Amino acid sequence: MTTLITIFLVLGLSVLFTAGLRTASGTDLADHITNPQQRPVLGGSDPKTHAWQRFHVRYYTMTLVFVAFEMEMMFMYPWAVVFVEEGPKALAEMGMFLTILSVGILYGWREGIFRWE
Amino acid sequence: MTFAPALTTLILFLAIGIWIAAILDAVFYRRISGQGGVSVLSPFYAAAAHLSRQRLTTEAPDRLNWYLAIAGYLAIATIGLAVVPFGPETAVIGIKTSVVLWGACESLVVVLVFLHGWSPNSPLALIGAYRYVAIGLPIMLLSMFVLIAAALPARSLDLRDIVASQEGLWNIIRQPLGLPLFLLLGLSLTLRGPFDYADSADLAGGTSVEDSGANRAGWQVARLAMLVGFSAIAASTFLGGYLGPILPGIVWLAIKTLILMAVVIGLSHLLARMPVARMLGLIWKFLLPIAFVDLLLAGLVALA
Amino acid sequence: MAKLASQAPVPVFVAQGDDAPAETARLCLNSTLTIVETPRAAAILLVAGTIPASLIPNLHRLHDQLPHPRATVFWQAEPTDLLSEAVTVRNDDNLVSVLTDTRSSLLSGSHGTEADLLPDAPPNEWRGVGSHGQGGKGMMGGTPYGRPMAMTAADFRDGLELDAYTADFGPFLPMFPPGLVLTLTLQGDVIQKVSVVHLPFAGEGNAGAALLRLLGLPALAKRLLRGPSDDADFKRLIRLSGVRAAIPPGLGCAPIGSDVRERFERLTTDPGNPSKVHVDGVGLGDLLIGLEWHEAMLVLNSFDDESLRAICANTSSPEPEEKNGDSMDHEGHAGHMS
Repeated sequence: MTTLITIFLVLGLSVLFTAGLRTASGTDLADHITNPQQRPVLGGSDPKTHAWQRFHVRYYTMTLVFVAFEMEMMFMYPWAVVFVEEGPKALAEMGMFLTILSVGILYGWREGIFRWE
Repeated sequence: MTFAPALTTLILFLAIGIWIAAILDAVFYRRISGQGGVSVLSPFYAAAAHLSRQRLTTEAPDRLNWYLAIAGYLAIATIGLAVVPFGPETAVIGIKTSVVLWGACESLVVVLVFLHGWSPNSPLALIGAYRYVAIGLPIMLLSMFVLIAAALPARSLDLRDIVASQEGLWNIIRQPLGLPLFLLLGLSLTLRGPFDYADSADLAGGTSVEDSGANRAGWQVARLAMLVGFSAIAASTFLGGYLGPILPGIVWLAIKTLILMAVVIGLSHLLARMPVARMLGLIWKFLLPIAFVDLLLAGLVALA
Repeated sequence: MAKLASQAPVPVFVAQGDDAPAETARLCLNSTLTIVETPRAAAILLVAGTIPASLIPNLHRLHDQLPHPRATVFWQAEPTDLLSEAVTVRNDDNLVSVLTDTRSSLLSGSHGTEADLLPDAPPNEWRGVGSHGQGGKGMMGGTPYGRPMAMTAADFRDGLELDAYTADFGPFLPMFPPGLVLTLTLQGDVIQKVSVVHLPFAGEGNAGAALLRLLGLPALAKRLLRGPSDDADFKRLIRLSGVRAAIPPGLGCAPIGSDVRERFERLTTDPGNPSKVHVDGVGLGDLLIGLEWHEAMLVLNSFDDESLRAICANTSSPEPEEKNGDSMDHEGHAGHMS
């Protein structure tokens, strides 16, 4: 419970700090942001369209391999705690698990998922 | 320590850390580029200069997320620092699973940096945001492997136990591969040097290209806060945190944090950044196997 | 606050024109200035050299992107009609003091901030018929908040139909050679099409420093600008930084005869004598299409001015706008492109 309260307290303080920066910065400056000021930075050129778009994410397949490893991480947390009690058996088990996942990396490598395709 | 003084210590530690980090950054930069000295007050001058300018927004931006990205990045850095024990059994957030909480903080950084680049609706910031995710995700795997390796001899996911387990021998000696790999994560979390794929020069500042005034000041402060939080975590995991003779524990922690901050800043100014696809391959094909080896060695040492 | 702020280095955004003073690139070595990457971080817009008439609208757009309080300083250049009030510096000697004074008087309020040059109106008419005021029919139709959304096009590599983002980039981007304006079509961060709107200016090249900056080594870039490159310390730092490994082998090589790595070596070790490249018939398209943004910027900055101008001259100019992907758009905003 104290942990949750602390986290929310820290979050609240950070939000307040950011708000404080905003109020501290010149209120006497023009508050109104005009249209030409709002144009996104392109070094003096005028964009034709909005920037938000269906972005072609080149590393999409890599993220799938990443998800596999992240799930594996969930098993590693409890594994780390009991590792010393369980002894060499635990080491062998995690070794096998990682080997299987590594085959995924090798396969992905062959398929070129770490390139910008 | 009770809660209120602990929180005050935390905020002081963070504030002083940010100030020193800003000076260190300037000192390294000037030293390498061959320029003159730095005033110890220069961070305050820079902050005042940022705050003296108007805070601009863009056409139809995502205002809420722009704000939350900056505030959230700072909050995540602070929470990272909060799990660090300042002395035996004292951490502002003292839980049995503090390594897991820090892992969650690491992954939220990717989300917040992405949102920071997404929210202005500006092409260069958007490219920075998407590109950062490609590196921010796999680099996190390295850090989790080395953190798990550090947890093995402690038989606990509690950072206090991890520090206590280094009473005889620091992890930097017991697990020599751990700290170098973890420092790479630090470069990525703080958007620095070879891992600065979000705010880099080829995008004229990337996700922060549209930040002016208070937003720019806030983002810079949050980046430095993350450097302090990360360095304190790394100092606790690999350099024995508060452990040390004579001086009080928090002083030892501060000294070790400072050293690691200097190392991260130095690396960020001295190492070249490669194009993102090349880095992606390097992480998966080279650095990740090294992290496996680190885990294996740590496991063998823990059993020996 | 103003007092503290005036102690900080003066944040200057440099808009480099034709015949910019040779000292422009070395302004960043002055510790009372910070040369910033984006107009959003600047208090002073420094126009160095003559801005050709065709780029004056770009300069005015750039000017309006600076946050208040802001000022413009023209250095060895005639102020444009709209900026006739701006400070002008002819003599090199006092540039830095003029910049410092201008910033101080901006902060104290004795020099009023400059108003916008362009009218305060949305880029296009947009308050229209859609249920969210988007001004057109359908999901991608209309011009919400004054601009249309990007339209889909097939990626040239995999045929995946996602949004193609087309825009002009430059001429005042820090990672572009000064004066260069490109129309780029991007899918994600990969370049699909490129055409040249405005050639880069001829001048003294600083490609070596530009490349170092792009590789995340701004401090070393400054060191290179500072002076003699036979500094052993500098050479060791360059080697240790892993630049060679960082630049992908064969990048920007195809019809040219040397790759970025090789050109970089020449630029940092022997800047006066850049490696000769075969530019006959080579256009920017041959070099940049298919490259990721960072790689493309490295290629773009790895040439000496003469070769880059030749390559740009070989590249096609943009097609008339209506033909260029716009035909796929709804007729809703066909007339709104400015």
